[in-house]
Amino acid sequence: MTPCIGTIRKKGWGKFMPTPYPKEQMHRIAYTKLTPEQILDKLGPAAKTGPTSASPLSDVFAGKSIRIVTDNGPALAYTFSGNKRLSLTENGGGSVDAGYGALTLANVAFFSHMTPGTQRGYTVVVDQGTNLATVFELWFSGYKDNREVQREIYYGYVDQPGQQAPTARHVVTNRCEGKGFYWKQDAGAETLEFFPSASYSNFVELSRLGGELGFCAPSDYIKINDDRYIYTRTECEFSGTFTAYVMDLNRLEQVGVRLGFDANDALEYYVFCGDGEWLGQLAQFEKFGDEKGAPVPAAPAGQTPAKGARRVYRPFETMAKMTKAEVDAACAKRSVAFPPRTTGPAAGMGGNLGPNTDWLAGKTFTLRYDHAPAIEYRVEDAENLNWRKEGDSSWTKARYQGWESMPGVIMFGHLLEGMPNHDGHAIVADFDQGLVTCFNGYLNTPYFANEAGVRTLFGVIEMDGLIPPKYNRHKFTEEMLGRAVSQNYAPNLTSMHLYSTPHSLSWIIFTDTDAGGLQWSGPAAYVKIRDGLFFMYWLEEACNGTLGTILVNLHTMRDVGVGYNCGPNGLGMSAVGAHERLAGQFDIKRFYQVPTSGGAV
Amino acid sequence: MSKHGTSTSTRRSFLKGGALLAAPLAAVAAPAVVMADDQLRTRLARLEDEAAIRKLHQAWLRAVNTREGNTNDTLDEAASLFADPKRSAFDASVRAIAPDHAGKPDAIELTSDGKRATGRFHCAVETETAIAPDCTLAQMAHAQGSGFVHRTERRVLHVEYVKASGAWTIAKAEFALA
Repeated sequence: MTPCIGTIRKKGWGKFMPTPYPKEQMHRIAYTKLTPEQILDKLGPAAKTGPTSASPLSDVFAGKSIRIVTDNGPALAYTFSGNKRLSLTENGGGSVDAGYGALTLANVAFFSHMTPGTQRGYTVVVDQGTNLATVFELWFSGYKDNREVQREIYYGYVDQPGQQAPTARHVVTNRCEGKGFYWKQDAGAETLEFFPSASYSNFVELSRLGGELGFCAPSDYIKINDDRYIYTRTECEFSGTFTAYVMDLNRLEQVGVRLGFDANDALEYYVFCGDGEWLGQLAQFEKFGDEKGAPVPAAPAGQTPAKGARRVYRPFETMAKMTKAEVDAACAKRSVAFPPRTTGPAAGMGGNLGPNTDWLAGKTFTLRYDHAPAIEYRVEDAENLNWRKEGDSSWTKARYQGWESMPGVIMFGHLLEGMPNHDGHAIVADFDQGLVTCFNGYLNTPYFANEAGVRTLFGVIEMDGLIPPKYNRHKFTEEMLGRAVSQNYAPNLTSMHLYSTPHSLSWIIFTDTDAGGLQWSGPAAYVKIRDGLFFMYWLEEACNGTLGTILVNLHTMRDVGVGYNCGPNGLGMSAVGAHERLAGQFDIKRFYQVPTSGGAV
Repeated sequence: MSKHGTSTSTRRSFLKGGALLAAPLAAVAAPAVVMADDQLRTRLARLEDEAAIRKLHQAWLRAVNTREGNTNDTLDEAASLFADPKRSAFDASVRAIAPDHAGKPDAIELTSDGKRATGRFHCAVETETAIAPDCTLAQMAHAQGSGFVHRTERRVLHVEYVKASGAWTIAKAEFALA
């Protein structure tokens, strides 16, 4: 199987072909706030008929009655009259009839149903070899965004009359951490799914969204045995859709369910099977022997988790959302570049920043960009420079900081006071090659005025004694694609980047036990400066609005960078620096190649 | 008695004192060695005070090491051991205190009137300091229940005690670098 995003595009000449891209990416969709009544109404038919399926449903349960006993959860007595109808008795109560759908993966049976007249249902995984069962109780309207599916997980077994109850259980695990897969479902949906965290996951919708960006979701990882695991994700902050599947890591097969409402509020409730490819394995950073799952506690210390509780990063909910007038006022009130460094826990992402350089001090040069005004510089010392657009008569003084990541390669940044969109430049200048790349951050962007946008400017350095190239430029690269690199910024402040698409990355925050914890993602780009030296940015869109830039040196395994952020407290540019570790690389470049659509090649 | 009008005892001198306390019992039958009653009472009182202070110190350590709130909580068990619970706060970053067996012996000094005392205890102190939530990374760390820097440091705990109504309480507790 050699899939790619192009496989969903119909070939043909002479007619307009739809692109695979959505009108709005997931983080930009204003999902409808569905009411409980609307949800109940939409669930009604599916609860009676059961989930749809592109593949024939299994009759593994047809004609059988089973009783599932769970620890600290419900006792579920099922009678399956065929492969689409069941009756359920919960905790010895009244019986209800519902539609269901079942699929099997080797000796693991999987079925899902909703309960008519309610917004809830169950998805059940039964290992027919051990009779162990894991039950997912699923419901809507359990969070202020009613469409976000809630789940509670119960572990138990299928009662075998006359036999002693098993003591073993399926168990949450970190054994899936670091894995990555390509999946193609029976209905055609293609995804890349990465598990760099033990409590979150990163997924790329190749067929639904064209694979431009990856997104992140809280996830569960449950071990059935060494070969088979259960994975879930809930697309919190987005549609709220829940996906769960059993996967066999050797067979590379999956069976699962998808439940939720799409961007048009249509119910998606189907079971699926799929085939996959193993894409690689990233390093884990927990102590050897630590196989605990769910490293992020469901509730804060000292609190008892509520039913269905899980830690969810909700950046859109918490970010400041400012108008252009508010941004202009905040920037006028306070614009600070490179505040004095602090040490200790207050050092934040500058804790492991190396010393800045005075390499630029006393130099005069021009950065001539191909598609933006050239900027002239007169650098006073290690922290002050003067800049002006070519042709302007007056200079503007700015505070800057720079670092020499490789000999002759200087990264520096400064704010451009007076620019209408409060620009900031993060620049990598290779004085040995005469090349420059600038990530030009700016504000007053379309969705929220305080959310940073970025332009990538390629160009050359003009300076006495330096002859720049005429045609050669730094270039966007896919060399980092699929790689994972951890960054330790300060004690207990460690993250990891996963470069999951050519245009986005995700970042994972490590827990106190060095397990992968919360994870989020944003648009990104990667520029190759030299062998082993990469300049990259990410935008925290719908998430603080920050533009992060780093220059990653894979030889020294250090990065330096510049953050650019605007909030109610004003505009800021700050330095970051980290010690890095390579965590591995997924083999994913081929999924982003657009195939030729005909003709000789 | 020390030249400053206080008695000084260390863990070693406490044990030594205990031996001396036991000796007069045998000496009763040996008239050659007779200790004056008032001297004996003074020594006994001092040893009882020191024992009470050590017991108080252990109770405070237990309360600090098992507390779930922060060090500024004036209503918890640790605060109740203070003469004035409002003065119970100390270094807010401290989460646990253990004896530093590589440090100097514990020392308790009583004032001559027996109403006040100071204690000096070498400790290994576990601290927890919140990382400032001024960047996305730190905010996410806090959102998952981490975002703290944990350290273990050798420090000296200086404690002032006061006796009121016959019972010892803590007047003040503070740390210094060892």
